[in-house]
Formats: sequence, structure tokens, C-alpha cells
Amino acid sequence: MAEIATVCPYCGCGCGLYLHVRDGVVVGSSPSRSHPVAEGRLCLKGWHAHEVVDNPRRLTRPLVRRGAELVEATWEEARSAVVAGLGNTLEAEGPQAIGVLGSARCTNEDNYALVRFARGTLQTPNIDCSLRIQCVPDTSQPGEAWRAGVSTGQIADLDDADLVLLVGSDPTEEHPAVGARIYQGRQRGLRVVAVSTRKHPLAGLADVHLPVRPGGELRLIASLLHVVLAEQGMAGEERPGGEDLRAGVADVSPEVTAADTGVSADLVRQAAGLYLSSQRAVIVYSAGLALSAQSGAAVQALHSLAALGSGGSGRQVSVLSLLCRNNLQGCRDMGVAPDVLPGYASLGDDAAVQRFEQAWQCELARGTGLSAWEMPGRVRAMYVMGDDITRSIPDPEATLSALEALDFLVVQDIFMSPAASVAQVVLPAASFAEQDGTWTNLERRVQRTRRAASPPGEAREDWRIIADVSRAMGKPFPYEGPPQIFEEISDLLPIYAGVFYPPLAVNGGIRWATPEARDAGGPEEARLRPPPAEALAAPGSELRASDQYPLLLAADPTLRPWDGEVMVSQMLTVAGEFTVLIKDYPDGMLCLNPEDAKRFQVRGGRPARVVSPKGECQMQVRVTDEAPPGVALVPHNQATRLGIMEISTDQAGGRPLLAPTPISVGPAE
Amino acid sequence: MTARILPHERIDEFVTRLMQSAEVVAPRRVEVADVFYGPISSPGEVAWDYGTAIEPLKRFLLPQRETMLRFSTNGGIKVEAECDERERVFLGVRCCDVTGVGVMDAMYGGDTPDPYYMSRRERSTIIALTCLQAPDETCFCVCCDAGPFLTKGYDQQWTSLPEGMLVEIGSERGEALARANEDLLAPAELDQIATRYRLAREAEETFGDFKSYIAGAMRKLSMNEVDPEVWEQAAMRCTECGGCTYLCPTCVCFTVTDRMNGSQGVRERHWDACLNNCYAREASGHNPRPERGDRLRARFFHKISHQWAERNGRQACVGCGRCVAGCMAWAHMPAVTEGIRRGVMT
Amino acid sequence: MNNPYLPKIASIRKVKPETYDTATFTLQLDDPTERKAFQYRPGQFVELSVFGAGEAPFCISSSGHGRDTFDLSVRKVGCVTDALHEMGEGGQVGVRGPLGNSFPFEEVEGKHILFVGGGIGLFPLRPQIEDVYRERDRFASITVLYGARTPDDLVYRDELEEWQQQEGMTCLLTVDVGAEGWTGNVGVVGTLLQKVEIDVPNAVVFVCGPPIMIRFVVQDLSGMGFGEEAIITTLERHMRCGIGKCNHCMIGDKWVCKDGPVFTYRQMKAMMEFEE
Repeated sequence: MAEIATVCPYCGCGCGLYLHVRDGVVVGSSPSRSHPVAEGRLCLKGWHAHEVVDNPRRLTRPLVRRGAELVEATWEEARSAVVAGLGNTLEAEGPQAIGVLGSARCTNEDNYALVRFARGTLQTPNIDCSLRIQCVPDTSQPGEAWRAGVSTGQIADLDDADLVLLVGSDPTEEHPAVGARIYQGRQRGLRVVAVSTRKHPLAGLADVHLPVRPGGELRLIASLLHVVLAEQGMAGEERPGGEDLRAGVADVSPEVTAADTGVSADLVRQAAGLYLSSQRAVIVYSAGLALSAQSGAAVQALHSLAALGSGGSGRQVSVLSLLCRNNLQGCRDMGVAPDVLPGYASLGDDAAVQRFEQAWQCELARGTGLSAWEMPGRVRAMYVMGDDITRSIPDPEATLSALEALDFLVVQDIFMSPAASVAQVVLPAASFAEQDGTWTNLERRVQRTRRAASPPGEAREDWRIIADVSRAMGKPFPYEGPPQIFEEISDLLPIYAGVFYPPLAVNGGIRWATPEARDAGGPEEARLRPPPAEALAAPGSELRASDQYPLLLAADPTLRPWDGEVMVSQMLTVAGEFTVLIKDYPDGMLCLNPEDAKRFQVRGGRPARVVSPKGECQMQVRVTDEAPPGVALVPHNQATRLGIMEISTDQAGGRPLLAPTPISVGPAE
Repeated sequence: MTARILPHERIDEFVTRLMQSAEVVAPRRVEVADVFYGPISSPGEVAWDYGTAIEPLKRFLLPQRETMLRFSTNGGIKVEAECDERERVFLGVRCCDVTGVGVMDAMYGGDTPDPYYMSRRERSTIIALTCLQAPDETCFCVCCDAGPFLTKGYDQQWTSLPEGMLVEIGSERGEALARANEDLLAPAELDQIATRYRLAREAEETFGDFKSYIAGAMRKLSMNEVDPEVWEQAAMRCTECGGCTYLCPTCVCFTVTDRMNGSQGVRERHWDACLNNCYAREASGHNPRPERGDRLRARFFHKISHQWAERNGRQACVGCGRCVAGCMAWAHMPAVTEGIRRGVMT
Repeated sequence: MNNPYLPKIASIRKVKPETYDTATFTLQLDDPTERKAFQYRPGQFVELSVFGAGEAPFCISSSGHGRDTFDLSVRKVGCVTDALHEMGEGGQVGVRGPLGNSFPFEEVEGKHILFVGGGIGLFPLRPQIEDVYRERDRFASITVLYGARTPDDLVYRDELEEWQQQEGMTCLLTVDVGAEGWTGNVGVVGTLLQKVEIDVPNAVVFVCGPPIMIRFVVQDLSGMGFGEEAIITTLERHMRCGIGKCNHCMIGDKWVCKDGPVFTYRQMKAMMEFEE
């Protein structure tokens, strides 16, 4: 029996995990006790991480479309088809007509190779990862692209914190390793303040729960800033931006914002009081905040709140951006985005471009490309690696139709996915347990994953598949394996300087430091920046209830986020735990407060008819006091396909977001 | 079956001999600081000074995934069972884990013995290693009659004295092992045996205040006198991560799946956790325990009720503290028994 | 060592559709020695393997008297049953059993025997009805009360006709919701209790059906004066082994597969999770 040290492939926590191998067969998973994140714990998904190996549903052979069917083919045939398909589009329409999607679940090496393939070999700037839609858009200054949605601290900061401020995050469901520390911290007096529409378990146990109305998050945070500034001021210190910040939130006292946020001034002042009396606080946010409108400004406001602490008042505050996936951070670090180069180097930075062109031995596409959510309708061919675009962005049906309508689509993955089912070529990839590589978790912790088994059938490592295609298209990659790829990453990406494979072997890896930390040698400081005035403006009347549409429907990304996700739904044993939505609420789980359920005469488990200005649909009802009166909640993963929710375009990032939508509810006939 | 002394300088040779005829499973350090029980390839790998192993012996006696049957459907169905017949010596096992094996024996033996478990168990020799002090602040074997020293349940029990291991014999198998290696052993003196008993008392005293109040909770639970509020509160402090179940030395629930590869197939069993929503859910969709509080109550009833203690010969908690280490929230044995006792969860 | 997880191979001899989602499969063990040794009593169940799809428990729904085959009446509701319903005569399956305890028989000799069945709850009752009827002079009387949600959900229609007509047995039917062409009783099966005269102190009643039906009928029966030992039911639970090892069917300190599936109302009340 050997224990192979690796990392859990699910959420962004990156818990250290051992795969047990006996007689060459992967037979189980265990937590690492010495690991700084896991500390001996795993969630249900982690305990079953080994089930991706020896899984009968794995893709094991290349598939090529012949008519209506995908049939098995050799690697040569598949590769030729890919080269021909991409080549045709390149010739007929040019590189702008090709889109490439990278993966929040593949390794840094895989993603880096894909970026090189996209900008170098294919010369297309259209490279992105659909889960970037869950990332806070970049509202930072030039050269600070890394700031957007990056954690300033680490999960262990919760261990000696006296206050945790949860904004939009339900760690119990989304990030159990974080949740664990909060549940246990409560036993030694950790105070919990939760800002969330839904009364999730930790919000229910919180010292103060601020049940913010959907759309009111920014104003609520700004009102907290207002109170903290008023009470504590700058603590006698001149801080750059301090005056602007104070002016920027002068008009948003809790009394003024109460009507739109739905939270009484008393509660806000109570929460602010707890914050003010804390010495060591951790601010935590997740997709629950990141997928709301104005999330960029909201997160910047949280950073401002954190920055008010350090310095004069002595309060130390870290901010944790809880990314949903094991390598969402790393995939962005590697430049899987249309508007930056690997390491967040600017596309306009000649020196950086030159460095990459030298390393890659070719020119690279310097333009800003299409975002993932723009690609399906606007390109003619796509190369998709480990990305579940039909799950990440609104209107899965439209997305799938658009993918089907492409001249050429190649999908590289470990399981069959909706996108793969309409592709011209499907390439079987190795899972996390079958290849070496690195991932970067939500703490910027770069960790090694290790191969514990051979890929099944003819599946191959992602980076190798890409390298083979690139070679066939005339641009060979010189890499022999992940260590060489990582050497280049470490060389060319300043944020990864000093991170090498040997030191990564230590349990817990290495966290890459933000440039300030490296230069100043001290804790990172965010600058104080006021929320933009137009963002702070009160939400429009469409977010208010009316007689015709008396409830507000919000898509909640923290509600059963893993149900139906590709890796958990293919598990052999506990897939049932993650298909509750599909089995019991197939049309959509409409969470209603008992008062509202009574008012609109609908019952738990029964179908309800839901009407919005945009359309109508049917959903199954779940009566729960997790939903506040006046607000109905539906899991974000189901909301994307209802067709009744307004889609707003995020000002800062151009993301299509499901906006809170007024609805009426009644029993279905 | 008199006690012996195995001088420290002879231990490696003893272990080498064990390795010649069996797979020797002992505590080993992995990645520097994590200790797992696992097969050793040399006597030097044994981490004699360890605290506790991350997981109990369950990994070897009841693996997380094991093949039960192989079948083929080509030209008429043929089915075969597959049992592990490896000889094993479990060396340096903490007393809590040894007690855990005893509980598994009761659950998997009985009138319908489980052949996969028994095939391994019958080929296992268990050599316990006593704790001279509480290895972890989460340990509470003293509340569960499962350590730090045992008086039965082992083949041999070793206690580290200055001059060597005191080897107590607990079974015929243990005696046979001693006899086969008599040249390395010497009979134990009376004062060495007295030392062992003194060390046991001193060890118990190091367990401090961390108690699990199991006895009080047992009674209320067995009589169904626990306020339903307590289970609701416990449910808010549990995330169904499965950690307590998978790490517990006496949790043995499993689920079964068939896997086909063309016309060949296997039937495997896998660890399962009763706290999971779908654990008891029937194909029709009916779920007899739809609330997490119900599932928590069923779990703790199975662990420490008088009723189950009668069926298994003792209550099933051995105080190893792993549920405390592995809990993603606050619903482990000490937390819940305290909640039961006090009528409210903190 | 005997391996209780190793199935015996059996072949499907006949498939008879009962309703739109249920069918009765007549099985016969392939090996003649195993066939002879397969002796069971009403109330017992088997673990049936559809190799590749999985294994699931099914009560034996026929009397063993005078036959070397046995029936499993199965509703199409999940992986294993879906796969089974795709199979026809000659198909091979795996069988483990007979498992569990059985309905009392000798112990209730001389009593008035009442059966109350709901929907597919008639499946485990049929073998007991048949055995009791065959030896009806050992019992004071036999009454079968059966109901389903709609006429389309009534199972064992041929048997129901026989039971309604034959001597020595009273059989009444009802449906919760009537339909065109249905001229019989309409109402939940508990309403049939008022239509028969029962010598309660000398009667025992076998109840089986959906959990909610059992709950209401047992309430009615208790109200009529039936003692807790005189009400007998059979429970079903998700199972993975059928032999008291996987613990999925555990209720309180009992396993439905080993201590049951047949329980008296008294035993059920004593179960930790019992709710009135």
C-alpha cells in the first residue's frame, strides 16, 4: 500500500489528500493531517476523490464524428481531424474565428500549454475559461490585474481570528475547509457576521446575520464602511485615498440604505460594532458575491474595509476570495483570459511580450480577445479543454445550440459532457490522479499533484495532447514533462518566481506572493478606494416588488453548487448526494419562506407556476426559512436554464449575470 | 503465556523475522509528518515514537473499496468470489485501534460471518503498543474502556520499558509467535510487570479534562430521552462530510456497486456514511430519514446505545478522537455527547 | 467459509405484466440441488442480482407449496428493476436467500385471519394468503381487504377475481380514486374495515402497503381494539447486503433484513424512530 500525496480536485480550498494505491489499484482517499488547509479533514467529495480512477464512464478512446455518431478512432486520425478542422477555419476566416477554452480543473502546466497553443500556434487572442464568469472583474489599476478576486491572506488566518465577516459565502456548502475553522472557532469565541440573502447554516449560527436583499450588497458594504469610518476614522493617520473614501461613502449611512438593502440600520450598526471591536478579522467572500452586479466595486469596498484596520487601529484583517474550483486561481495566473498574458502581464507590455515570444519561438497574438461567454455565437471553431461552459453561463440550451452550429469543435476531457456530445472530435484526457502537475488554490498556494495510476485506455495528459496537436500544426513544444513546463512558468511569470518543483514537494506547497509583499516584506496592503458613485446609486425600480410581481427571485450560487457537476455526478457511490436537485427538483428548486408559501398557496414538494416579465416556467417548491420573506431563491446552476430571469451585463467585466427578477408564484394546475 | 522482555536492540531482528512470512503493517511516517499504518519494507520504517495514526486498521480489514465478486455474462453467467488471503502482522497498534478491531469482529462475525473480513482477520496477528501518555489532546480512550493499556483483545501487547519491550501474551497466536522467537526474548521479571501497571496508571492520569461523558449520554440516548432540539442543533453543526464515519475504527457501513467491462464485471463494496441524505433513500424516492437530525440520532444510537452495546459486546466508541480530528464542523462524539448531556449544543 | 454474498444463478421462466409498471417474474434456480434446498416461508425475501446493474431486495410473492419455482413481483422504479424489466424468459439472474424472518403461521392457528393490503403491499401478502387459504380449516376465517390508488394500480387481478368468488374467504376491494368502468368501492382501504364483521379479540391482521397507508390503517385497527401483538406488518428499507452487515436497513437496534422484515406493531412501537 502506498500513499500518494496529492491535492483534492474539487473546490478551491485545495486540501492535502492521499490516494491509497494497493497492488497498482487506487483504492481510497485520506486526508493529510499535517496539511495547512486540510488539517486532517476532507469533505464528502474529497473522501471519494479516488472514484475518478477506474471509473467505467471515463473517456478512454479518441472519438471522431461520422454523421450523427461519434465513433472511436486512433490518435492519428483524431489529431488529423483536429488539425484539418482548425486549419480550415484559420484559412477561411483567420485566427479571430477560433476560440479556445481552458480549464479551472486542469493543471497549471496544462493551461500554460493551452495559452501558448492559442496565442502562439493558433495566433488567436480568444482564450478564456468559462468559470471566469465567477471571478470578480478587474477594477484595479494597470499592472495590478492580479488584484481582482485574489486573497490577501490564508485560510489558517481564521485560527487566531476573533471575527469573520462572511459576504455571500456559505462555506459549509462551498468551502468546507473554511467552514470547519469557523464552526470550531466559534467554540473559542470567534464572532461571525454573515451578509447573505439566504440564511445558510452559518448565517443561522452567526452573531449577526444581515439578510441583504439581492442587489443591495454594495450599498450594504458601503454602509458598513460608513459606520466604521465614522467611529474609527483613519485612527489619526494620513492614508492615501482616505479622504476620497470617506467622501465616497458619506451619503450611504445604514439609515439611508435600509430601504434597498432590506437590513435595518440597527443590525448594520451591530455588525459594525463587532467589527470595530475585533483585533484580528477575516473577510470572506465567494461566488455568492462575485456573481452579483457591482461585485467588482463590492469587493474593492471589502478590501478598503480591511485596509482601515491595519495601521492605526492595529486590527489585522485578511481577505479571502473563495474561488469555486481547485485551479481557478492557477488557470487565471497562467493567462487563460482574453485580456492578459500569463502572470497578468499586460498585452501592451512590450518587454513581457518579447520574453514570451522568445521563449515560444514565435509571435504571439497581442489583441484582447473574446470572453468565454461571447465565443459560442461569434467564432467558427473552438478548442475546449476541461471546461463546462454549458454549466457556467446563462442559457445552456442556447450555448449548446451555438456549439453545435460551429464549423468545428474539439473537446478534450475526462468524461463525456454536453459540449463533447456535439463535438466533431473528442479527446480522452488523464484525470488529476493520473498525471503530475501543479494547481494553485484560493490562497495562491501552489501545490503538487502526483500521478497515482495510469490514464485509462488511450487517455493522455492534457498538456501532451495539446503539444502533439501544436507539433502537427508546425509549432512543436520542447517540453518533456510538467517539470519543464513549470520551469518556464517560474522563469517567465514574476509572481511564480521562486516557486520550483523541489520545494513544492513539501506538504502544503508554496504560496506565491503578491508583488507588494515581496518588495515590502510585509503583509499586503490594499489601497483605499471609494466605490464608484454610479455603482452606489440605489437599485432601480425593477428590483422592487409590485402587485403583479410580488416576489424577487434570485439565483443563489451557494445553494447546492455541486449538484450535477461533471466529476461528482460520475462518482460510483455518492453521486446520489449530488443529484438531489435532478431527482427531487428537476425543473428547479424554488426556495420559499413559509410565509410566502402560505400567501401564494403553494406546498413543499409540489410544482408551482412562476411568472416573470420575461416569461414563465414551472418549478418544484421547497419551503424553508433559509429564504427571507419577499425573496425566492433558486440554485444558480438551475437558474441558468429557466429562461425567466433577467440577464444584466456587468459594467466592469461584460459578464452576463442573472439579475434578481420580480416574479409571481402560484400553484401549477 | 508468561510475559517476556524483548530488548530494544533485538526489536529490528524480531521485525525482520515477522516480515519473512507476513505483510507487516505498522505506523510509518509519510511526507514527514503524517503517520499511517501501512506495510513496511524495512524495520527502520516503524515509527515507534508516534502519537496516533491518521486512520485505524479498517483500511486493511475492511478497505474503502474492495472486490467481492467477479462475474462474466458471456454464454451463461458465472460468478466467483475473491478473498484476500494474505498473512498480516499488525505491529505497534494503539489500544484504541485494537479495541476497534474487537468491535468489528463482533459486527462482522456472528452467525453470518462476512467472509472477506474474516479471511483477513483470521490471518492477522495484532501486536498492540501501549500509550505511556495521552498522544493527543483529542484522545479519550479512558472514557471508553479502550486504553491506554488493555487487559485483553490483543495477540501481544508491548509496553516500552527502559530495557526493552514488555511483551504480554493475549492469545494462543501471540504465544506461538513468542515461542517461535524465544531466542530473542527473556522471561519478564516481577518488577518489570509491576512497572507496566504503574505506567498504565500514570498514563491514565495524563488524559486530563477532555472527557466525552459517554455514560450519561448513553443512558438518555438508549431511553430515547434526548430533546429533539438537540438533534436539530446538532444538524446545524454537521456538514455530512463523512469524516467521522470514514475515520472511525468501528464504522463499517458499505454500499455495493457493479461495474461492467464488456461481458466481464465486478461487484465491489465501498465505504458508506449513514449521515448522507441518500443513505437510506429508497428507489421510490421515499426517505425514512429525510432530516439530518434523524440521521445523527440514528448514528449515535448505533454507536453508544445500550441496545447495540448488548448486540456487539460493548459500546462502539473507543475514544480514539479521530472524529474530532476529521469533523468539518462541530458534530463529533465529544460535541454531541456533551450536547445530549447538557440538553443543548454549544 | 460459506460466502453469503455469492448469488445462486436462476433463470426467468415467465414474465407476467400486472400493471403499467409492475410485473411478476417466475424464477427457477438453475442448479437442481440448490433448487431443492431453496425452502422459504411467506414474508421472506431474496436479494436479486441483475449482473452489471446491481442487486436489490424483493419479497417472495408466491407460496412455495408444490412448486420448484418462485415469484418476485416487481415494480419498475430504479436501476435494477429497470434492467430486470428489460429481461424476458430465459434471462439469467442471481439470487441470494431466502432471507429474513417470516409471517407467523402455526402461531395464529385457530384465529380469524385478516389481510389489509395497499397497492404493491399485496406482493408480500399473497404467499401468506395462499398458504392460509390452502389450510383454511386450521383457521377461523379469512378476510382480504385490498385497495389501490386507481383501478389501474390493482395488482393480481386474476387472483383478486378468484378470491372474491371462492368459498371460505371474503375479499373486498376499493380504490382511492375511481375511474370510468369502476363500479366497486371508492375510498381508502381503511374504509373497508367498516364493511366486515371482525371478532377482534380472536383475530390477527396482516397489513402491508405504503408507509402512510400502514400508519392510518394501524390507527384504525388500534381503534377497533386490536392488540399490538395482533397487528403484523412487513417493512421495507433500502438494503445493500440483506444479511445485517451493511446497516442500511437498520432501524433503532433492529435490522429489517435479519430481525424482520416481518414485525408486530408492538415491535415497531418499541423501535427508536417510531412515530405514531
